Amino acid sequence: MTDHRLSRLFPTLDRRQLLAGAVGLSAASALPITAWAQGTTLNVRSYLEPEDYDPLDASGFLEEMLYGCIYRKLIQYVPGDEWAWQNDLAETIKQSSPTTITFTLKPGQMWSDGYGEITAEDVKFSMERHMVEENNSRIKPDLGPFTHVEVTDSHSGIIHMERPFAPIWSIALPYLAGTILCKRATEEAGGKITTAVPPTVSGPYRVSEHRLGERWVLERNPDYSGAAPDFDRVDIIAIVDESAAEIAKEAGDVDFTAIGPGSVQRLQENPPANSQLTLHPALSYTWVGLNLNNPKFEDIRVRQAIMHAIDVPSIMQAAYFDVAEPSTGIIAPGLIGHREKTLIPQQADFARARALLDEAGIDRLAIKIDVLNNVTATTSAQVMQAMMTNAGIDLEISVHESGSFWSLGVAADGERWRDLELTFKRFSMTPDPYYATAWFVTNQIGDWNWEQFSNEEFDRLHEEALSETDNEKRDAMYRRMQDLMEESGAYRFITHEVTANLYADTITPATRPDGLPMVQFFRRA
Amino acid sequence: MTHFRYTLLGRLLADPMAVVAIVIISGLVLAAIFADVIAPHDFRAMNMADRFAPPSWHYWLGTDNLGRDTFSRLLQGGRIALYVAMTAVSISALIGLVLGMLAGFGPRWLDNTLLFFFDTLRAYPTIILALALAALLPRGLSTVIIVVVVTSFSEYGRVVRTQTLSLKNAEFILAERAMGASFGRIVFHHILPNVLGPFFILAAMNLPVVITIEAGMSFLGIGVPPGTPSWGATLKDGFDFIRTTPWIILSGGLPLILVTLGFTFLGEALRDQLDPKLRKGR
Amino acid sequence: MLTYTLQRVALALAIVFVAISALFTIMVTLPGDPTTVLLGPRATPEIRAEFRLQMGLDNPIYVQLADFWGRVLAGDLGTDYYRNRPVAVAVFSALPHTTALVFGAIFWSASLGIVLGAFSADNRNSLLDRVTGVLSVAFIAAPSFVVALYALLLFSVTLRWFPTIGAGEPGDIGSRLYHLILPSLAIGLAWVGYVARIVRASMLETLSESYIRTARAFGLPRRVVIYNYALRVAILPAVQVLGVGIGGMLSAAVFAEIVFSRPGIGSLIYDSVSGRNYPVVMGSMLVAIGFFVTCALIADLINAALDPRHRTKS
Repeated sequence: MTDHRLSRLFPTLDRRQLLAGAVGLSAASALPITAWAQGTTLNVRSYLEPEDYDPLDASGFLEEMLYGCIYRKLIQYVPGDEWAWQNDLAETIKQSSPTTITFTLKPGQMWSDGYGEITAEDVKFSMERHMVEENNSRIKPDLGPFTHVEVTDSHSGIIHMERPFAPIWSIALPYLAGTILCKRATEEAGGKITTAVPPTVSGPYRVSEHRLGERWVLERNPDYSGAAPDFDRVDIIAIVDESAAEIAKEAGDVDFTAIGPGSVQRLQENPPANSQLTLHPALSYTWVGLNLNNPKFEDIRVRQAIMHAIDVPSIMQAAYFDVAEPSTGIIAPGLIGHREKTLIPQQADFARARALLDEAGIDRLAIKIDVLNNVTATTSAQVMQAMMTNAGIDLEISVHESGSFWSLGVAADGERWRDLELTFKRFSMTPDPYYATAWFVTNQIGDWNWEQFSNEEFDRLHEEALSETDNEKRDAMYRRMQDLMEESGAYRFITHEVTANLYADTITPATRPDGLPMVQFFRRA
Repeated sequence: MTHFRYTLLGRLLADPMAVVAIVIISGLVLAAIFADVIAPHDFRAMNMADRFAPPSWHYWLGTDNLGRDTFSRLLQGGRIALYVAMTAVSISALIGLVLGMLAGFGPRWLDNTLLFFFDTLRAYPTIILALALAALLPRGLSTVIIVVVVTSFSEYGRVVRTQTLSLKNAEFILAERAMGASFGRIVFHHILPNVLGPFFILAAMNLPVVITIEAGMSFLGIGVPPGTPSWGATLKDGFDFIRTTPWIILSGGLPLILVTLGFTFLGEALRDQLDPKLRKGR
Repeated sequence: MLTYTLQRVALALAIVFVAISALFTIMVTLPGDPTTVLLGPRATPEIRAEFRLQMGLDNPIYVQLADFWGRVLAGDLGTDYYRNRPVAVAVFSALPHTTALVFGAIFWSASLGIVLGAFSADNRNSLLDRVTGVLSVAFIAAPSFVVALYALLLFSVTLRWFPTIGAGEPGDIGSRLYHLILPSLAIGLAWVGYVARIVRASMLETLSESYIRTARAFGLPRRVVIYNYALRVAILPAVQVLGVGIGGMLSAAVFAEIVFSRPGIGSLIYDSVSGRNYPVVMGSMLVAIGFFVTCALIADLINAALDPRHRTKS
């Protein structure tokens, strides 16, 4: 299969050649479908209820899971173990200059419910609406320096950017912002789709019903231009709790769910009947951050002592059950900018930590960590608490539910951000390093940069790397940026986690390399 | 007073239900007090090699996800439960006592205002109010206690108010007042001793409710900080790993059921002895 | 009676007003910026600022409170800005699930409680009476979330008799009831004990009354007497207790809805409190408190209608 690798293997291939190779690539959805399943329902668990049908309001993967089923894009990620993309609506698509991408659409791709053929006007409308100020698009940053789409004829156009933007292939086009909506239907709806069922769809499924607080019920889209999907009905069921989801899977109420690391070993040893378990390295990054502007941590030796007193392998063992690997930074293996190792060893060195504290003239150090209310975070904190006493550090654990936690470091919400000490955080990721470093630049202080890390070189590199097209150079820039983070003494990187999926062996799931499901490509086994 | 207690205790011991209750409660109290002596392991000690161990001679009730001994943690949890229950019940009883007397003795408008206040507090479903308050306050036992106090002192207030009102105009009190007895004397010598009976019944009935609220809040993740071995937190940990270690849920629920049984029996027995008229339902 | 009814209704309305206003004030002063949570990490400060303005989050609390009541009285529960839909839609689509759950629980507690209670009264002081006595208290003693967990483990996971999640297919009564059985039992079980004891006590009282003795003297079969006369008298206090117990059941519904992943007011409030989704929290609290106060009011009025002494008591 002709793939477009977004991974580090990328620099070894000539970009042009590779892009040219994409032309004529047919979507995986065109795989011949033999099994016309009868009366089959697919039940997929999501950890929260997806929000709505309009990408303007989308915030993350929850919506992507739904949009993937009901809408199409120019290109889509290829399910499997390598980050790559494949054509969907696009018949041809290529980087025609550093700031332009030329595409043609497959002919005869239809909107459902009589809304006609999908045209280049729809592409233009769908992408440009994110740039309109009044629309308040929540995913506008995904499009970077995108400016507009120039429609050349009904089925072709040129995507224009202000300057080169590497992530357009890895984030903008195959993810949320690349979702194509029907111009006519959206305009009829007043510029935004807010109805309980979208007026028209283009994907393999359409929405039959949204049961608030419970599930989305999808059914086959009879007007879908691709091969009909395997399932008559797809239910995306919101189950917040992982162990509740596992129980539902076990009872047969759910066909596919992610499970917590604590269940992996047991399921591997005693695989439940008629079930499969797969593990995927995830992209998200978890770290312990330390507020550089807290007077307690003014002395670099104190910060280093804390870093040396956090034993990452113990956390891996206790909270991640040894199914995840310690991370070296914020960029996962396989992506541009991944570091081979950390500057401070992942193993704790309590004697070193103690010595650093002694040098700083501190006998016992009392610090506080804020964590989210979930079992992995609280377990990690308990392990840290137990280990840190070895270095004479007393750690107090403060647990918050998500609403309170995610506002801790935000300046717009009172003064708490100034007094922050340690935080245990996990950020989600897309397959481009731009998406990782963006939250640690100076102007993110008071927003998402809770460490209040401010480094001129880092800020400059982040800007430059965005438009750097030479992947080797880009790689070095991102590695340098992570060194800068670690040198500040404000970051102890924990893990990129692992996605563990449990599913019934009556289905063949399709997942991105990080294990997140692409429900539109699920098949019957 | 000694005479009264002696006979009350004597009468209680004649009631098999009360005996069962006293045995359960004293067992739990003793286990909580001597938790450190009885516990076979340090309740904090993590032992990764033995995590998720099933019940055995070494770990009577197995271990949790960090290899900590469940039995030792439950013993420690008894301490927390008793601490929360005693503190919360005393505080709400005290507030209820003061407000109830104020309502009983005070002018009509104050009585009406306080009654309205009590009614308003009763309009909040407990756990739902707990959710709202827990998000406002820092997590910890003090928050649990505040939630319990807010949701339960109005009950005490109502009971005290009713008793006070019925006694206020009783002939012997009117006589004392006519003879110039001080307000304090009336309160401490006449009202208080008479209020205490129903008050203790209510407290005994309220204790397990309090413990259950703490457990419920910890189960929802809005109670005690992680690592605290409260019964609710143990249940929550158990639920997180329910398929791996079902015995944690089973053994974590048991002391809760026992303590509720014990105090409910005790409350019933007290009610039978102190106020046979109240016998019908709640 | 009319004056009394009007008084009680006015009081109930005042309680709802004060309870909700107090809660609103608390919610608005919670630490946590709703814009951060609701708009996600990628929202720019400009988007946030506009959002704050749009939601009136910068106004003083009393203005927000007045606005809130103004809208409620106009029949508008506000907008769920998390999902861009009226709060009323979220709340009123959740309410039937919780109502079904609570009434299911009442059904369980009434039916099981009455049977157990009548049975004990009928076989007073027998071994069975004692066993039911202990069972009643044991039911009271088990916290509803523990019962829900055990029930889920035993009946759904191990035995696979009942589903673990959801509320069933809409429009399919059978499926709805099937999904309702276990969670409503988990909530209702605690009240089985109360009802059984009340039924038993009032039946024993009634059985000793003269007209029952008369009826029996006329030779009516014993069971007919017991179940026709005594039970009728005994059910009323049981129903009253359940009316008062609705507050407790609403609390228990939060757990049942979380453990069984059911939609409903409880899970809606749980989700919205942690998401700082003020409008939904307020809307669902308003409805939950209104629901509770209304049920208590109805129980109170029934009581007053049947027992005039009650009217002067408070």
